[in-house]
Amino acid sequence: MTSLIRAFGGPLTCLILFFSGVWVLGLIAAPQIIMIDKSLWRMERPVGAAELSVQIDGLYNRLDLLALDRSTVADQPEKLAAIDTETSTIQAQIADLERAETTPVKTYTLDNFRQMGAAHFAIFVRTILASLAVSALALVVCYPIAFAVAQLKTARTAALIMLMLVVPYAINELLRIFAWQMLLGPNGPVNAVLSALGLPAVPFLESGAGVFIAMVYAYILFMVFPLYNVLETLDKNQIEAARDLGAPVWQIHRRVVIPHARPGIAVGCIMTFMLSVGSYSVPYIMTRGTAAPWFTQLIYNRFFEATNWNVGAAYALSLLIVCMIFVFLMMRLLKVSLKDIAK
Amino acid sequence: MTGQTIGMEIELQRASVRFNRFQAVQPTDLTIRAGEFFSILGPSGCGKTTLLRMISGFLEPTEGDVRIGGRSMLGLGPSDRPTALIFQNLALFPLMTVWENVAFGLEMRGWPRAKRRARAEELLATVALADHAGKLPDQLSGGQRQRAAIARALAVEPAVLLLDEPLSALDLKLRQHMRAELKQIQARTGITFVYITHDQGEALTMSDRVAVMNKGQIIQIGAPARIYDHPGDSFVATFVGEMNALPCKLTESGPIAQCETPLGLLRASNPNALPASSDAMLFIRPERLRPLSPGEEAENTLPARVTRRDMEGAWSMIVTEAQGRKLLVNMPNDGRGAPPEGEVRLGFEAAEALILPKGEISHD
Ligand SMILES: Nc1ncnc2c1ncn2[C@@H]1O[C@H](COP(=O)(O)OP(=O)(O)OP(=O)(O)O)[C@@H](O)[C@H]1O
Ligand SMILES: [Mg+2]
Repeated sequence: MTSLIRAFGGPLTCLILFFSGVWVLGLIAAPQIIMIDKSLWRMERPVGAAELSVQIDGLYNRLDLLALDRSTVADQPEKLAAIDTETSTIQAQIADLERAETTPVKTYTLDNFRQMGAAHFAIFVRTILASLAVSALALVVCYPIAFAVAQLKTARTAALIMLMLVVPYAINELLRIFAWQMLLGPNGPVNAVLSALGLPAVPFLESGAGVFIAMVYAYILFMVFPLYNVLETLDKNQIEAARDLGAPVWQIHRRVVIPHARPGIAVGCIMTFMLSVGSYSVPYIMTRGTAAPWFTQLIYNRFFEATNWNVGAAYALSLLIVCMIFVFLMMRLLKVSLKDIAK
Repeated sequence: MTGQTIGMEIELQRASVRFNRFQAVQPTDLTIRAGEFFSILGPSGCGKTTLLRMISGFLEPTEGDVRIGGRSMLGLGPSDRPTALIFQNLALFPLMTVWENVAFGLEMRGWPRAKRRARAEELLATVALADHAGKLPDQLSGGQRQRAAIARALAVEPAVLLLDEPLSALDLKLRQHMRAELKQIQARTGITFVYITHDQGEALTMSDRVAVMNKGQIIQIGAPARIYDHPGDSFVATFVGEMNALPCKLTESGPIAQCETPLGLLRASNPNALPASSDAMLFIRPERLRPLSPGEEAENTLPARVTRRDMEGAWSMIVTEAQGRKLLVNMPNDGRGAPPEGEVRLGFEAAEALILPKGEISHD
């Protein structure tokens, strides 16, 4: 704190602290807290609602009796007046009780998390497994590319190749996915090629394979760049030293390149996994109801179709927890610290 | 130890390297004797690393042959040659401990962990790093890293150790210490050392023989004293050690020739037997030039004026000027006569100066 003041001066320090505060509160804490809070309560019938309704029933009976009494004492004005006042107090009482009976109360509970039936849970698990597979496939595809580009002697060629990799991503994501939907559709070019080769048509869109392919495509960039960045910093002499000492290619990668690339692998996997697991547009466009939904679509349904925001929040939170576990596992597995990732 | 390693002979036969259009190493014939400490000395960019990479197998010669131990190495990769390379930046593996680094070559040869650890520790002990086996390379000092890299290369028991300016990152004191250590290791192991450097002090102190290289070509090969005292051409003369150079025109040929210089008629030895009236250069080492006391005579004398005196400990470097030309004079600090001031007469014997054909001058 004092060092901050010394480095930036009083007013600037205040400004820095203010903006970091806004950042932490507004961008990190507030949305999470609201989501966590929402997932932990729901509106319930008040406690003792049953007794209340018995009581209300009793009061209605009493009203009926009073109406009967009223007809028998029609000629006695003072008695009539007494009955009328009693009737109106009872009616007021009933109104109060009925309000108490029907107004739901906010109750904190873990029930929202138990709302997930077997079918939804299966989708949850499938979404996670598919996202893991997307990350794994992206890693397998990107590692050789990133390595090859990083090994290029001239930085210019490397920059050019990386630029060419980025160019398609200048197009809006939705359009790109629509393109894939058309490519993989029943009458799309891919199936046309397959049938020209005499192979049976593949129901990419209906089987969920389409979602998978489009997702690898959509998020592969988030794997290739962290990998490239880290591989580019590898001293080429290390590869040559390993070769000189008799290491075959796979050993060079196992002992020298991959250990060096660990932070990049961790960042790439975490990014592609989180993006895939949280993707809404890709499964939405690629399937449009023809294949089993992605878990994000279930969350969307909870919010906007079942209008049960609490269960929706609980679903979303479950996904978030899985993501956190994944991040933690990746870091443990690859022995990377937050510091390495930040680099 | 699994037996004394014996160095092998290296032979280049018209070996050359060309990158596209750029001839990095001219066709070279060179024999490096088995068990020799051989240095290749040359300015930056002259093709030293390229030559070394050709010997180690990272580069195939564009033409010619590389033979090690009498066997052609064409088509063999670096791991199949009896060589080990120590890189300019050492290239230790930063994520492995020191002993894992040293044992890497053995690991690749399938040695079990316990055995290779024992061997690595043995090697580390020979380079005085026994206590640092478990550290990471980053935790070592410059000299220790140096020794770790040597141990790593020795672990694969090469017959030839190729060193690419391995001391360039060290400070002067450590560099001098490591020179002695490298020499010792070479003597003890009997391995052929090919040592690349652009530091002539390094090449002269350590080597059995030195090759001076310029622009992809080896210009002269010889024992350090020979290179220093009898440079074959003007480039070697000026690149190796300090040298005063004067343009001259021979007026009289012979083993001791006479020539006309901007500083007057001077006599010097003429090893190339240049004929009279040819354009040439006259070279004289600063330590062979001496200030003459009044009345003292020498075969050649030059009037000059002292402009600066640098005390360098054991000797003084005196910068003088004669007719606008800078002449360096080295004087031992032996207590016999104080360094001169103002106007002086400089003298040297004809046999101590050299007349060589006009050629490239190094401005290092
Ligand atoms: N792969 C390559 N492609 C094209 N030119 C190269 C290549 N490697 C080296 N060169 C060129 O060859 C020449 C010699 O390079 P080399 O690395 O052998 O020099 P060096 O003598 O080791 O220099 P230094 O003392 O600076 O290390 C240089 O001009 C360099 O630009
Ligand atoms: Mg070099």
